[in-house]
Amino acid sequence: MATVNSKRMDKKTWPKSNADVCIRCATCMAVCPVSRVTPLFPGPKQAGPGAERFRKSGDSSVDEWIDLCIGCHLCDMACSSGVNISELNLMAKAKYLDEKGRPLRDWFLTHSFLFAGLASFFSAITNFLLKNQAVKWIADSLLRIERRRELPAYQSPTFRQWFRKRPSSPPFEKGGDACLPLGGQGFEPYSKDRKKVAYFYGCYTNTNEVDVGKATVQVLEANGLEVILPPQECCGLPMLGNGNFKGARKMGLKNVPSLLKAVRSGLDILFSSTSCGHMIRHDYSHLLAIPGTEEVAHHLFDLFEFLRNLRERGNLNIHFKELPLKIAYFPPCHLRSLGIGLPALEILRLIPGLEIENIEADCCGMGGTFGFKKEKYEISQEIGKDLKEAIDRLNPEIVLTDCEGCRMQIRHLTGLKVLHPIQILRDALSDTK
Amino acid sequence: MHYDLIVMGMGLSGLMAARTAAEAGKKVLIIGKGMGCLTLFSNTIDVLGKIPEEARLKDGLSQWIQDHPDHPYSKVGLIGIDESLSSFTSLFQSPYSFQTIGDRNSFIPTGAGIMRPTYLIPDTMVAGVSGNKKALIVGFKGFRDFYAGYVANPLKWRGVTLSIPDVPNQEISATALSRWIEKRSFRERIGEEVKKRLNGETSVGFPALLGVNDPMGVKMDLEEKIGVEVFEIPTLPPSIPGMRIFNRFKEWLIRRGVNILSGYSISKVSLKGRRCEGIHVHHPPVSTLYSADHFILATGRFMGGGLKADRRRIFEPVFNLPVSQPGSQEKWFEKSFFDEHPVHRVGILTDSSLRPIGEAGKVIFENVRAAGTILAGHYCLDEKSREGIEIATGYWAAKNTFQI
Repeated sequence: MATVNSKRMDKKTWPKSNADVCIRCATCMAVCPVSRVTPLFPGPKQAGPGAERFRKSGDSSVDEWIDLCIGCHLCDMACSSGVNISELNLMAKAKYLDEKGRPLRDWFLTHSFLFAGLASFFSAITNFLLKNQAVKWIADSLLRIERRRELPAYQSPTFRQWFRKRPSSPPFEKGGDACLPLGGQGFEPYSKDRKKVAYFYGCYTNTNEVDVGKATVQVLEANGLEVILPPQECCGLPMLGNGNFKGARKMGLKNVPSLLKAVRSGLDILFSSTSCGHMIRHDYSHLLAIPGTEEVAHHLFDLFEFLRNLRERGNLNIHFKELPLKIAYFPPCHLRSLGIGLPALEILRLIPGLEIENIEADCCGMGGTFGFKKEKYEISQEIGKDLKEAIDRLNPEIVLTDCEGCRMQIRHLTGLKVLHPIQILRDALSDTK
Repeated sequence: MHYDLIVMGMGLSGLMAARTAAEAGKKVLIIGKGMGCLTLFSNTIDVLGKIPEEARLKDGLSQWIQDHPDHPYSKVGLIGIDESLSSFTSLFQSPYSFQTIGDRNSFIPTGAGIMRPTYLIPDTMVAGVSGNKKALIVGFKGFRDFYAGYVANPLKWRGVTLSIPDVPNQEISATALSRWIEKRSFRERIGEEVKKRLNGETSVGFPALLGVNDPMGVKMDLEEKIGVEVFEIPTLPPSIPGMRIFNRFKEWLIRRGVNILSGYSISKVSLKGRRCEGIHVHHPPVSTLYSADHFILATGRFMGGGLKADRRRIFEPVFNLPVSQPGSQEKWFEKSFFDEHPVHRVGILTDSSLRPIGEAGKVIFENVRAAGTILAGHYCLDEKSREGIEIATGYWAAKNTFQI
């Protein structure tokens, strides 16, 4: 931690995340989802720049509430003085947990990628176990993983396996219920010299929500693009979020060379998970000082940001069929923190018949692994309640959001069908049902 | 990405500019370094609190414009100001709407225990106007931004402080308290407590945190439980009524397809001759260029970061526009705290359509306008004109941009 830390402080490009530029205006206090629901967390103003003024590198940490920062970045986006509050919190969290030690539970929650392949291969058994009340009880009492929280089920084959095995030249039938338009007016999706793009799908798409990956590939192919999957690992965000800089950096060091190779062969890289994307685009260089990241970041795009760019140039396949659905869209915190606006909402509004509203709520309360932790579950649910009320007011058939954590939480809170926006876009491009 | 208009700044003036352009069907990007200063300053809408108490606002404004030809209001004019305020109020439909009483300033109590003049008042504060009625002021233990006695004593009212049953001995923030109060069970308890403590008072004043989403529902429910009228009293930041204004604008703008980017500052502008072509937004390590036909600079003053100062001079960091200011730093401040400090009057000089001008009145950029408190020629703190200037000039800048 100390070495990573000092490295990043040496960077000349590092923006002044100086606690002293805070003018104590309390705007961040208006948006913090955690201090709104619990007095246990003093809020961004105190926890970030307020406490930072008393922190000295030699002293041991006394910030016992710092672990309650959910890492949503909403305070950063509200601050007119440019204080990177959530980063101050993250550093303080890392120091606190480094000194106090991390529970075994946190290791499990941040290393699921190690056993995801196996879990997926034996998905029938895994899923039986993950749903089993006795197993959940044990996880709850031994590991303090909240038993009321559904553990995500594993799918087989994985996205990567599906991608490798599918017929190389379309048309192909998708595993689900849609197939793609061939051609469409004015489009030649499968010409020989198609432009290639690389896809960073992320762990959750690979083993738990394979259809998100399929839909991404199908939409991109329907836009005449060939999709390449560069070798990739977990982006490391779960570790970073838990203050484990060292572990997160290790993951970054594995990913960047592979992504860099794709970039240097002329490819843009797309991500469908806004959390993974935010991690690679901003945290890899900013916080983890991983060499080569800046070059990657310049060619890394959110999936819908990329589609919006296609549209801007008149190259987006907009031969949508009518989709008479009532949809509510929730922009995840990490999407907002990417600073690209709401491109999924912009694109989905092009689909005829689709009634789509933005959900006016701040944060879903899941915070990645935060919502699985027994001691944080109630806070996570309280934050989520505000989102649930906003969804109830809109009364949608389906909820869409770009982040897997948000999707888990919204399913948990509402019982509604919750999808990635790309899945609806794919449906709008499909010829038949 | 290319837009018809890029608005820089997410305070009330920027939001009004974006609204006005979006209403005319324009493609708009609004970008803010933070979420603007609505939660810092605004609870009600001040237009011109400085005019005589009994004066109708229109008469007061008209006189003001005559006497202050360089004031932002003089550029917008009476009709423009009136249109802009109508546009603002039309965004806030019942149950949470803004009203004015007899086209005059009304006096409402504040967290500092004084009555202060203001013009447009949200429905939740109307019952506190003028303070004729005997009121009981309610504060909460642990909420340090509002002291019931401090408000009540100078106004010869009575103050009580309630303990919050579920959070004993804890500090509690405005947003947490406003969320508590949205819960029926919590209101039942405080309603009962307040009712017990009434002693002939015919109204009850709470700090302005009766919920973010449905403040009128909260107010009416409390009235039913307590049996007398309830009103909100503006207090220290973060302002919950300011959040309501911000949220309403945001909701409306997103529905209209306006792209909102909050949290990032402009690192560079692309200029070509006397035109601005685009802005670069830096989010390390990525820098993105957004281009547009027109630009509105609504970045505020010192708190919002629209104006900056070093030891020698005050400057505008985005375009480096000339800032009208006293010759040297010694002249920024007077000796006494309550004196009129020249630093409050610094700002950007513009022509009548709000395009910044340099020496000899020459327009600097053809397609850039300035709006809000960054403009020169006002002293909004003293005039009690902050929100009025923001609303009127935000509206006026967008209207002039597109000749609407």
